[in-house]
Amino acid sequence: MSKCIFRIAVALLICLPLQARAQLEGEAYYNDLYCQTCHGADGVGNEGVQAPRLAGMEPWYLKRQLEIFRDGIRGTHPADFQGSEMQPMATLLTDEGIAEVVAWVGSWPYVPAELTIEGDAAAGAALYRSCATCHGNSAEGSEALGAPALAGQNDWYLVTQLTNFKAGYRGAHAQDSQGSQMMAFARMLADEKAITDVVSYINTLAR
Amino acid sequence: MSEPVSRREFMNLLGATFGTGALIRLGSALSLMPAAAAVSAPVFAAPAPGKGRVAILGAGISGLTVAWELTKAGYECTVLEASNRAGGRILTVRSGDTVDEIGNRQVCEWDNEPHMYFNAGAARIPSTHRNLLHYCKELGVELEVFINESKTAYVQDDAILGGKPIRNGDLSTNVRGFLAELFAKSFTQAQLNEPFSEAESEIIMRLIRTFGDLDEDRLYKGSSRAGYASGGFLDHGVLKEMIAFKDVMKTRYLGTMLTANEGETGPLLMQPVGGMDMIIKGFTRALGDKVIYQAQVAGMQIKDDGVDVAFDHNSKRETLSVDYCFNCIPAHLMTGIPHNFPTDYLHAMKYIRRGEAYKAAFQAKERFWEKDEIYGGISWVNAPIGQIWYPSHGIHKAKGVILAAYNFGGGMHFTKMQQAERVEALLAQGEKLHPDYRQLVEKPITIAWHRINHMLGCSARWQRSPGGWTHEEEALFDTLQQPVNGRHYFIGDQVSYHGAWQESAILSAHWALNDLNQRLRAESGA
Ligand SMILES: Cc1cc2nc3c(=O)[nH]c(=O)nc-3n(C[C@H](O)[C@H](O)[C@H](O)COP(=O)(O)OP(=O)(O)OC[C@H]3O[C@@H](n4cnc5c(N)ncnc54)[C@H](O)[C@@H]3O)c2cc1C
Ligand code: HEC
Ligand code: HEC
Repeated sequence: MSKCIFRIAVALLICLPLQARAQLEGEAYYNDLYCQTCHGADGVGNEGVQAPRLAGMEPWYLKRQLEIFRDGIRGTHPADFQGSEMQPMATLLTDEGIAEVVAWVGSWPYVPAELTIEGDAAAGAALYRSCATCHGNSAEGSEALGAPALAGQNDWYLVTQLTNFKAGYRGAHAQDSQGSQMMAFARMLADEKAITDVVSYINTLAR
Repeated sequence: MSEPVSRREFMNLLGATFGTGALIRLGSALSLMPAAAAVSAPVFAAPAPGKGRVAILGAGISGLTVAWELTKAGYECTVLEASNRAGGRILTVRSGDTVDEIGNRQVCEWDNEPHMYFNAGAARIPSTHRNLLHYCKELGVELEVFINESKTAYVQDDAILGGKPIRNGDLSTNVRGFLAELFAKSFTQAQLNEPFSEAESEIIMRLIRTFGDLDEDRLYKGSSRAGYASGGFLDHGVLKEMIAFKDVMKTRYLGTMLTANEGETGPLLMQPVGGMDMIIKGFTRALGDKVIYQAQVAGMQIKDDGVDVAFDHNSKRETLSVDYCFNCIPAHLMTGIPHNFPTDYLHAMKYIRRGEAYKAAFQAKERFWEKDEIYGGISWVNAPIGQIWYPSHGIHKAKGVILAAYNFGGGMHFTKMQQAERVEALLAQGEKLHPDYRQLVEKPITIAWHRINHMLGCSARWQRSPGGWTHEEEALFDTLQQPVNGRHYFIGDQVSYHGAWQESAILSAHWALNDLNQRLRAESGA
């Protein structure tokens, strides 16, 4: 926790309508801790509201996700229930606000997520081979390819994302060039079992 | 339907028409009324020296109940509340208040007058909620009557009468008339199945006729109960034109007319004068500086001899070590706070789903409903807004606050919309009842409980199937109700079989207090 919170508060205030702002002055409180309400204390992730771990997330990836949520490129498909939970939050953010948030989130210590899914990790390992090209052998991610780390992320969240990419709820937006690449690969996972298996394998990769 | 029917056929017909069978199976929280629970807070002995530190996580009414009872018994209580206000789902919105919806913050700009408020969460207190009423009395919270039903309010359904609004009284009188005629016809048949004496038969027939206002020939030809079309005071009243049952039978509100004002939402309901949060203010007045606001719990470790709580306050992480901890943080938020709960406990917490209730309100520039003979009560609209509530208070004042929507089932319909879309939907659907609605209301406030900061839901949903609680669910419930190490208790209406009532939250707190009290007595006896 740092002074950063206060600066976020200020940054967030900037994008409120002028009229509302006048009344909110001195009430910066209202802007502080939204991320933690959903993503859990210090961004450890919260299955209860399906909001994934943020602690330890790569700053470049975090920034991009906040931008595409804000710009309606992610989280606006009518069937993307979880994404639509996140999206209204992001619409409050300015560019400066995003920079502040990224710095703030960066101050949270990385804690690998609790494992909740058990599938056939061996079958998953075979499936993961094609993923490794972008996400890396240890699922450590690759900034150059825009592919985030997967190891240590909440497994239930990875399942939602693969399901949503496959169905076109994420990644199908015309401006989502990164997401569309991923969509193609999610479609290589034949069914629910394949998704569970590959995620079970990712669960075995320490980070 | 003019043929006599057997009793069984008749009951089946009733069930099919009004869905009563389905209703009973569903065990809807609104139509089932649990037995009133006697005032149940235990009497505690003073704590053993150095053993009286208590942390209460969340200033919901259950947390405040624990804090108040234990403070009276001499314990040293600290209530940690993430928000800048106490009360959680007991939220009254007035002039100047901020509605802290994530992604859609709103500031209330209504006239600043005592009657200009809106109970965005809890709004009604049934006569049988004795523990809640007990605290209202103890804390000096003034109560007044809450009007749930007005016969002059409306039912509007595009499926009947071309969408024309119809008065509650017209509909209910005609439904009863129709049913009574049916009863009268089938009674002869029923008599054959199970003979009644002549005197008994007469009593029954008189009851049936009274029920539906049938004429001498046991026929329903309309009733003055629905009000007159004209006259009645200084000249003879002219009955309103009777509404044919077949013209209205397609609305799902026929059943609602029979059940909405029975059981727990039946007369007499009450509300605190000035807003439901007067109860919360009563508690916080009594507790003084024991409640710490903007203190967001960020960690919790249960040990053999106590509990360590971490929380963020004034941009600093602080810790509090206590002997006992009572926790009303909603389970779906608690799962995101580092803890050392046993696995079965965590499993039970994760099982609970969160509800999606939605409410909204407008400031009305004038009390137009009073010109339409409506003083309080509910109009039912077969559209996502569901209900419109006219205030029970502030009668004949210049303005009022009108509840523009109350939807506790598929609340996501509104939640997913942006504010402007929500408001347009509220206006378009309200217009079906009150043609000048759009011109008469202003300054909308919308409450999507699913997105209210630090709540993210309207109440715990334990049941996954419509068939009632499964044994598995009951077992999960039992797990969550039990303390961990005798040190940590989960409380709140989430730990009750009857969610979304303040009484349930209070009773869960009393259950935990009683359990602790018994343990302490056993310890001191040992
Ligand atoms: C739309 C609606 C209508 C209702 N109608 C009625 C009615 O007519 N009559 C009736 O009796 N009841 C009604 N209820 C139900 C009633 O409001 C609830 O049962 C009751 O208020 C629940 O109290 P609780 O003690 O469980 O705590 P809650 O009210 O759930 O409070 C939980 C508290 O925990 C706090 N918190 C969350 N996270 C943290 C954290 N990390 N750290 C610290 N604090 C935290 C929250 O801010 C909140 O104050 C209604 C509820 C809703 C939503
Ligand atoms: C109302 C709850 C809520 C709030 C508040 C919220 N989020 Fe989210 N967030 C979610 C949910 C739910 C998801 C999962 C979306 C999905 O499954 O597609 C999510 C997803 C994300 C993702 C995508 C993660 C990934 O791996 O792609 C990022 C990044 C994120 N949130 C950052 C933030 C930050 C930073 C804040 C605070 C400024 C914040 N969120 C506030 C609910 C919320
Ligand atoms: C061509 C490169 C590429 C390949 C191959 C690839 N991905 Fe991705 N993946 C990406 C990119 C890029 C993103 C980020 C999309 C964005 O920024 O919105 C991503 C995102 C994801 C996410 C969402 C992560 C999060 O935090 O939201 C998951 C899960 C995922 N990939 C799993 C897989 C799996 C499993 C495979 C193999 C079946 C795979 N990916 C193959 C490029 C790839």
